[in-house]
Amino acid sequence: MARLIRTEKEVEGHYTEQWIVVDEDALDQWPAGPLQTVGKPAPRVDGRERARGEATYTADIQLPGMLHAAVLRSPHARARVRSLSLSSVLAAPGVRAVLEPGDSHVLTDEPGYHGAAVAAVAADTFAQARAALAQAAVEWEVLEPLLDPDQAVEKGSLVSEPNVSERGATERGVSEAEAVVEAEYRTQTVLHNSLETHQAVCVWESGRLDVYISTQFLWGVRATVAEQLELPPDKVRVVCNFMGGGFGSKNGPGEYTFIAAELARRTGRPVRCALTRREENLATGNRNSTIQRLTAGARSDGTLTVLKGDYVNSVGFEGWSPSTGGPMELLYACENVRVAEHGAKLNTPPNAAFRAPGFVEGTFGLECLMDELAARLDLDPLELRMRNYADSDLVDGRPFSSKNLLECYRRAQPHWARREEVRARSQGPWKHGMGLASQVWYGGGGPPSYAWVRVGSDGRVQVVTAMQDIGTGSRTAMAQIAAEELGLSLDRIEVSLGDTSRGPFASISAGSSTIPSMGPAVRSAAADAARQIVEIAAQRYHLEERVLSLRNGHIVSADGGSWPIEEITELLGEGQILGKGARGPNPTGMRTLTFGVQLAEVAVDIETGEVLVDRIVAIHDVGRVINPLGASSQVEGGIIQGIGHTLSEDRLLDPGTGTVLTQTLDAYKLPTIADVPEIVAEFVDRPDEHLTNLGSKGLGEPPIIPTSAAIANAIRDATGANVRSLPITREEMLRALRAAREREGLERTAETVGEVRSA
Amino acid sequence: MKFVRPESPEAAASSLGNGSVALAGGTDLVPMLRDGLVQADELVFLRDVVPRGVQSGRIGAGTTLAELEVDPELPQALREACAASASPQLRSMGTIGGNLLQATRCWYWRLRFPCYLHGGDRCHARQGTHREHAIFGNDRCASAHPSDPAAALLALGARLQTTRRELPVADLYRLPTEENRNLTALERDELILELDVPTPDASVYLKAMDRRAWSFALVGVAAARFGAETRLALAGVAPVPWLLENPSALEQSTPLPGTAYKVEIARALVRRALASLPTT
Amino acid sequence: MRIELDVNGEQLEADVWAGESLLYVLRERLGLPGSKNACEQGECGSCSVLLDGELVCACLVLAAQAEGHEVVTVEGLAGAEGLHPVQAAFARAGAVQCGFCTPGLVVTTAHLLERNPDPSEDEIREALSGNLCRCTGYAKIFDAVKLAAGT
Repeated sequence: MARLIRTEKEVEGHYTEQWIVVDEDALDQWPAGPLQTVGKPAPRVDGRERARGEATYTADIQLPGMLHAAVLRSPHARARVRSLSLSSVLAAPGVRAVLEPGDSHVLTDEPGYHGAAVAAVAADTFAQARAALAQAAVEWEVLEPLLDPDQAVEKGSLVSEPNVSERGATERGVSEAEAVVEAEYRTQTVLHNSLETHQAVCVWESGRLDVYISTQFLWGVRATVAEQLELPPDKVRVVCNFMGGGFGSKNGPGEYTFIAAELARRTGRPVRCALTRREENLATGNRNSTIQRLTAGARSDGTLTVLKGDYVNSVGFEGWSPSTGGPMELLYACENVRVAEHGAKLNTPPNAAFRAPGFVEGTFGLECLMDELAARLDLDPLELRMRNYADSDLVDGRPFSSKNLLECYRRAQPHWARREEVRARSQGPWKHGMGLASQVWYGGGGPPSYAWVRVGSDGRVQVVTAMQDIGTGSRTAMAQIAAEELGLSLDRIEVSLGDTSRGPFASISAGSSTIPSMGPAVRSAAADAARQIVEIAAQRYHLEERVLSLRNGHIVSADGGSWPIEEITELLGEGQILGKGARGPNPTGMRTLTFGVQLAEVAVDIETGEVLVDRIVAIHDVGRVINPLGASSQVEGGIIQGIGHTLSEDRLLDPGTGTVLTQTLDAYKLPTIADVPEIVAEFVDRPDEHLTNLGSKGLGEPPIIPTSAAIANAIRDATGANVRSLPITREEMLRALRAAREREGLERTAETVGEVRSA
Repeated sequence: MKFVRPESPEAAASSLGNGSVALAGGTDLVPMLRDGLVQADELVFLRDVVPRGVQSGRIGAGTTLAELEVDPELPQALREACAASASPQLRSMGTIGGNLLQATRCWYWRLRFPCYLHGGDRCHARQGTHREHAIFGNDRCASAHPSDPAAALLALGARLQTTRRELPVADLYRLPTEENRNLTALERDELILELDVPTPDASVYLKAMDRRAWSFALVGVAAARFGAETRLALAGVAPVPWLLENPSALEQSTPLPGTAYKVEIARALVRRALASLPTT
Repeated sequence: MRIELDVNGEQLEADVWAGESLLYVLRERLGLPGSKNACEQGECGSCSVLLDGELVCACLVLAAQAEGHEVVTVEGLAGAEGLHPVQAAFARAGAVQCGFCTPGLVVTTAHLLERNPDPSEDEIREALSGNLCRCTGYAKIFDAVKLAAGT
């Protein structure tokens, strides 16, 4: 039965309260551990198409008569367009239409960041469009940009009210502490750099708009485009069959979709608006940089008495202030916690969600701080974390729907025991060490989400839902879930997704929510279909439904009878069995989170500042694992992004003009295969008994969260240097080493003075 | 734009200039054409006219980096510099002649800031963001020369044969002056044809990068020993490949606030390079 | 200008503009979208193809340069159906996530194994370092290369 409830919905750590209609979820969870298909490694059901180069991405869509758009972007971080003439652009070869500020809400004549869209053109080829743009006559009034985040906070230039939350009494916490550590941490701006750039192809036909787009949320694009263009949502069709990466930056339609739609409307032709790599690194979002001024206090036994965090998020010209203080609030059983987050509005490109926005940055600060505290207290870092283990959510006292972080710590111990052995590898300038960091994040998903399951007379099954597979392997996981419920082998399941006109509403693929939101809906639809097969079989074989079940492609009865499933489906002829499923509600009054711990082994060349990551062990608790092969691949992918974030990636600006300097992939340094360490991925793999019919949480984001702190802590272990700023480039490493030497020198001098005095 | 396959190196050379641009491997030129850093009406394709291959120490300028890095006859420093210079794809496309003439990676220059090198009156990197920039010869332009093989060839004392003359590789490069902002001494219609590389007793190339592979040098150090004399040259530290008279010359460097770390790296790599050369 | 080239064993002709890249001609004029355009600068390897057996970035080769030469793209590795052993290994080992970099990696791996059927870990790292992947973390790509080398 459909039920109307008022509930909290969480996406990327944002909670909103809303009315929601949910369907009951009456299915019992499957037993824990690997089943017939679920819980066993499954190669991609679409691996073949992708490996053959046949998968059709948005970038590969070719439509008859399609035009290509190019976008004129502001070369200035803050400016006004004094005058703009596009007449020569319009006269250039191949040009069919131009747009200027006023023609679309995504174009502006007062750009607030380098790369803001100002005008656009559609031409027969992209080269023509680009060449035509060079003819634009723009007179700029260049204004002084605001680039310093601390200055922005001081002046009150914020994207939203500061987010301050406090529990307990932090002043008391400080006074009760026997050791207090204060430190300032900084993280840099990181660019998503999905390999497929942001792009859309738009086509109008009889008042209906088709949008082919590289996106993480078909229905979000549909809703936003419909609202903006004042169309009934059913007049907008959104298609994305294969998608070349997003990492949070492709949750909405972006300016390019509206540019393509308007140009397509004006020309009556399909229009592609595809960003170049340079544009990608200007105007599609970023993980914003942060400044984190943190305090931790503890008793000598390690019991935390206080945690304080003052965070400045350099959000950019628009965007939202991510929850950088979230890990500090959620990770430890500390009674006195205060976090204050400021979202600085600057003349820099707007941020966008990037794989655990806020928590990646905040975990770097918090987990480095914990290690600095452990050093101060002369405590083992793992011991310190276990001593402050949180059994319930201290933010509002809710129990966790499940939490197995202690089990993660337990499994970490044999790896952590290698520490002495790792340190002993140090030789000459190369110092080895080991560090760890914990992870907390959301990832419970939620309703609404729907799926249909269609069984044909040949006994083959089609899962139909208008979700998207952003590359994470959703197609495969959904096929596994349907196969498990129907007792069929994976090769008999087809998953049809990627088109809002061909399936029911499905959730966003962001916030680690795809599996926990969509998986239960698919299982519920498969169960509905299975129930109907059993009903028909019961009539056909004159048995009671309750003695029949589906297993290994057969209908089996409790007394040992077994019939191939086709015996029943054949009876359908042209008919089909249609199963319908929906995502049930989240457990009420509970907090659903994901947890984990990562351990890093590093080597540091103290003469050249080179840091090599040798090994990372990742142990995560995300409930039931559907596909261990896909899951370990997610972990490895998160870790290598984390390594890039830690060591080499940095979007650099010119400090005077706010120009983005690192637009290409030689300047913005993504890790290559040569940077990959040995990675060990483990999962606790215990279903969350309170969460849906699957007990699965999401895994997209957790693995990137603790990586940078684990590496920084390993560096501290290896060298004694406190690295507090990302990325840990050679200059940062050498700076931290120099500071450590100076500190040690001072301590030695102090010791010598002490010795002299005592003598 | 026209695509031209010339008949001879001389014909190729004489057609250059006035919108005619030489195209060899294309790894640097093609992106610059796309970004509007180079304008061309005509591309003169050198592949069929510039010598390619190695014969008794003489290297055709059209030889690819990938071909050089595996040639056992060549000095180790050159092979290592070629191997470390770029990705496998770029090394199998890029020629040694083109590599020597590649443009700086300075982001200000690449983004067409009206900088000193582009004929303007100041270097934007000096006051700006410059962690990848120079520690030597940087008073007017602080860009860093990106070529690893150039440093190796400089340490090795290689000589170049062009369509007009023979010259030491050191003379190929010049620092920009008020009158002339070019970083090479090559004439507009001059092509490098061959390189003559002396055989040292021992040589080595070491490179510090931001990631383990496929990145331009923060600091590259080439060392080559000929008898009692050892020559050192650096990549990534000056607008041109930089000959280091001796290790202590590093103390005369003029780093910017953001490039001081390069001196520290260079000291370590120079020491290691020298230590790695076997003595007879 | 009109050029002729041998693509995946077939003689093809195309009308091109001299400044146009081989990648553009393959994708937009010859109906071979397998090679991907991701950076346009030769920095990501997504457009890797074989030009006379050499591994190149098709975005940096001008179409006119390829005139009269042999090009092999991801579409030409296996027949009209079926999988090249490298493609099969990528699919089986789970070396594919979003898959946008996969065609380039498959071509690069095929080229590596052609020259070096049993590459060491370091040789794999070096040979594949010009192909950026943002999703997989590369670990399963190692597995795939080793799997393909063993077949």
